[in-house]
Amino acid sequence: MTLLIALLVGAGAGAYGFRNALRLRPQPRYLAGAAFGLLGAAVVSGATKGCAYGTDVDSIQNVIGVAIAGAAGLAAATAASSTKAARGDEPIAKQRSELRTGTYRLGWWWPWLLLLPTLIILVVFLYIPAVQTFTLSTMLVRLGAPNTIDVCLSNFTELLVPNPWMVVVLPSLSVAVIWGLGLWKQRASAGSASYNLATTLQPLGIMALLTALYFMFSGGTNGYRSIYLNTVVISAGTVLGGMVFGLAIAYLAFQKVRGIGVYRTLLIWPYAVSAPVAGILFFMMFDPTAGVIQHIFDGFGIDFPNYRESVSLARFTVIAASVWKVLGYNILFYLAGLQNVPIDQIEASVLDGASAWQRFRYIVTPSLGPITFFLLITNLTYAFFDIYGTIDYLTRGAPAGATSVAIYEIIRVGVDNRDIGRGAAQSVLLFLAVIGLTIWQFRRSEDRITYGGVG
Amino acid sequence: MAKRWLGILTVLTLLLAACGDSGTTTTVASGTGDTSASGEITDIEMWIAFADDTRLGFAEDKAAAFNAAHPEYNVVVQSFDSYNTVFEQAQLALDGGNPPEIIHFFEAATQEAIDAVDAAGDPIFKSVTAAIGGRTEILGEPVVLDDVVSAARNYYTIDGDFYSMPWNTSSAIMFVNQDMLDAAGVDIPETWADVDAACDTILAAADAPSGCITWPNHSWFIEQTLGQEGTLLANNDNGRTARATEVNVASDGMKAYFQWWKDLDASGKYLYTGVQRDWDGTNAAFQAKEVAMLIYSSSDTTVLTETGAENGFNVVAAPMPYNSDVPFEGNLIGGATLWLLNGLDTTTEDGALAFMNYFSNPENAAEWHKITGYIPITNAAVQLLKDEGWYETSPNSLVASDQLDAAANTPAARGALLGNFVSIRDVLTAAAENMLVNDGDVTTILEEAQGEAQRLLDEYNALFSN
Repeated sequence: MTLLIALLVGAGAGAYGFRNALRLRPQPRYLAGAAFGLLGAAVVSGATKGCAYGTDVDSIQNVIGVAIAGAAGLAAATAASSTKAARGDEPIAKQRSELRTGTYRLGWWWPWLLLLPTLIILVVFLYIPAVQTFTLSTMLVRLGAPNTIDVCLSNFTELLVPNPWMVVVLPSLSVAVIWGLGLWKQRASAGSASYNLATTLQPLGIMALLTALYFMFSGGTNGYRSIYLNTVVISAGTVLGGMVFGLAIAYLAFQKVRGIGVYRTLLIWPYAVSAPVAGILFFMMFDPTAGVIQHIFDGFGIDFPNYRESVSLARFTVIAASVWKVLGYNILFYLAGLQNVPIDQIEASVLDGASAWQRFRYIVTPSLGPITFFLLITNLTYAFFDIYGTIDYLTRGAPAGATSVAIYEIIRVGVDNRDIGRGAAQSVLLFLAVIGLTIWQFRRSEDRITYGGVG
Repeated sequence: MAKRWLGILTVLTLLLAACGDSGTTTTVASGTGDTSASGEITDIEMWIAFADDTRLGFAEDKAAAFNAAHPEYNVVVQSFDSYNTVFEQAQLALDGGNPPEIIHFFEAATQEAIDAVDAAGDPIFKSVTAAIGGRTEILGEPVVLDDVVSAARNYYTIDGDFYSMPWNTSSAIMFVNQDMLDAAGVDIPETWADVDAACDTILAAADAPSGCITWPNHSWFIEQTLGQEGTLLANNDNGRTARATEVNVASDGMKAYFQWWKDLDASGKYLYTGVQRDWDGTNAAFQAKEVAMLIYSSSDTTVLTETGAENGFNVVAAPMPYNSDVPFEGNLIGGATLWLLNGLDTTTEDGALAFMNYFSNPENAAEWHKITGYIPITNAAVQLLKDEGWYETSPNSLVASDQLDAAANTPAARGALLGNFVSIRDVLTAAAENMLVNDGDVTTILEEAQGEAQRLLDEYNALFSN
């Protein structure tokens, strides 16, 4: 029964994925999409031996199973429709034939041979481990143990609230909000009051999604909700802080001052420090017994609070250390970006009487768009992955797990506690989060960022 | 073009070389030929979890001395930064076909070390008692395993078999800043109630320290307390008569300890550094005179006493305070032992056994005790130190040995043996931190921890049952 629903959902998602497929009339288009969707859903269900659809597992596993089938259907149909689109596209086909006749005269195998070392490295160090992670995430497995136990999706579902309705309704609601807001903006004519309001309300969609996820994860001391909250707070703080300070300092360092070369070099230094070292430095500075911060405050007779015992201070310290660590990198790129800000536009705006803030807001910031986008991705990577080293030396997830972010928890569970299955499940979750964020970023930035040149 | 081909060839050669290498290693490791007959040198790798100069230096010196006395062997010490890393790397090396012969592993993972199997399903480690097989001398090195002090013997003997060779063994004892206690006019506290009373006096002084007592939020101190109180942590006599299947975290003994701890913290007497398993932070607080008392591992007796003197105060060691409301059973050991790899050929195995026994011979064990504070592991070493008059000049060093000798040989005082213990320990320290930082209710917190700990044990047993 659940399997049937899963396959139907997969087919439906496939039909949706084919909505833009070229050169097909609606009816066969949707049919073909449904077929691909069905195929995708069936492959995924077969790979897990349909374990998520039985009545012997809890209903959340059923729900997640159906959702996975739907996602697989959509993915299969999207992939199929994009190859279709590419084939139908005249210029690409032409370019291809040019490439074929123009460059690789030695034979079709020549480019593959050149790619071989890279491909081997990718397969051995990236694809095989990735597939293994997915397999391990459905098992109870331990290094050195003779047995493994298949647990289907329970490694995932135990991270969620034990209520299937919440798991279905919450994400649907947030998707509805995002979709509704998008539709509103699309329908309103540009420049109208309604359009402006819709634009201002866009962040509501993201907030709805973040809130929905918060309530979807299981609460309590050992629940994943606290990890999720830590990750969102610390990542957002790191990325926002790092980019705002990075831009501000880069803007200052871009002014013509004597000895600016020295300042710039000094500003970029923190980038050369590794993430764990950033953690150690802040650990020493903020140490309640021997730290320099405490020493300075002692001079004023103030007892500086111990960040290791305060939830908000501990998070703040982790963010501060991470911001400091990424700052040099951000400054470096913003300095490079500032050199490409069109001088003629600045000059024109000065003639038009624009204030310094207006010049910064309406000319400098938009032309830094591509750099900002790039930094957003790299800073997110830091906040999601590299931050492990900083946290491990600074707080070790303390106090009471308040600074344990997703990557820290993955290593704590999967490596330190040797619970490889749960660690793998959590890393699949982080993987999906990063993919989701990246797709969202690319979509959002497509219409906002110009890389100069035509179009 | 020629350059490109050269590049590709280099890459291919490297790849082939890499594959070839791993192939050969496997053959060598699985071979059982007697190499010493042909005059070759047998390599014995020992992986240890110490990276500091004192302890790593000791191991390296002893390995060098052994190699000099036995030129047919070459003992190599490889250092790692934690017990977990050693165990993990050893298991990965085992899969790779080139594991170390001797592995240093800590007491909480004893069950896991006994249970661990390789890819073929064979045990990873071999019992040292079985490997020694009743010999009193191996390659001229006297066997000292039979002379190991009773506390360590009681802990590591499982089903009548001594599985691994004890090396660093300690107990939890208390260090006091005697100058601070003298200034307040209090005696060294013996019981929990004494600690409370002493802290009231110490904190009432005008120039009182910011806290009175501290110890790392490490599960080992919780287990020490359970031993003192005679409370079992696991069923089947703490997992000693049969594999533990039930863990009891929400016991009365545990509740009493957590409540005392929570009250100490709430009244400002206990100083929490805010980090779990924080050996460095608690030690620093004691040395910075922020607290008058520190419950710590006896492993650091020597350096703690010396550093205290450098910081201008007199450090006195005393037994760990206990709960006087219940009968006292005894403290347990902590530390780590040397495990012997299974499936070695006779030459290598004898070399490894000879080194292990040499490593803890009376002279070496006494030296190890002096430079660290870990207890002298054999009775002969204790006697040697007494004859030397060591304890008269360093009375602090005797406290841990005396405390362990005073312990009853009961399941509670021997300490628990259970699977997934390392993770269960983390559950306990997380619960304690939750109590200290978030002011949680003791019973609620311990009952939550009970569910989590039982799940960890159940899963472990499911993975290791036949």
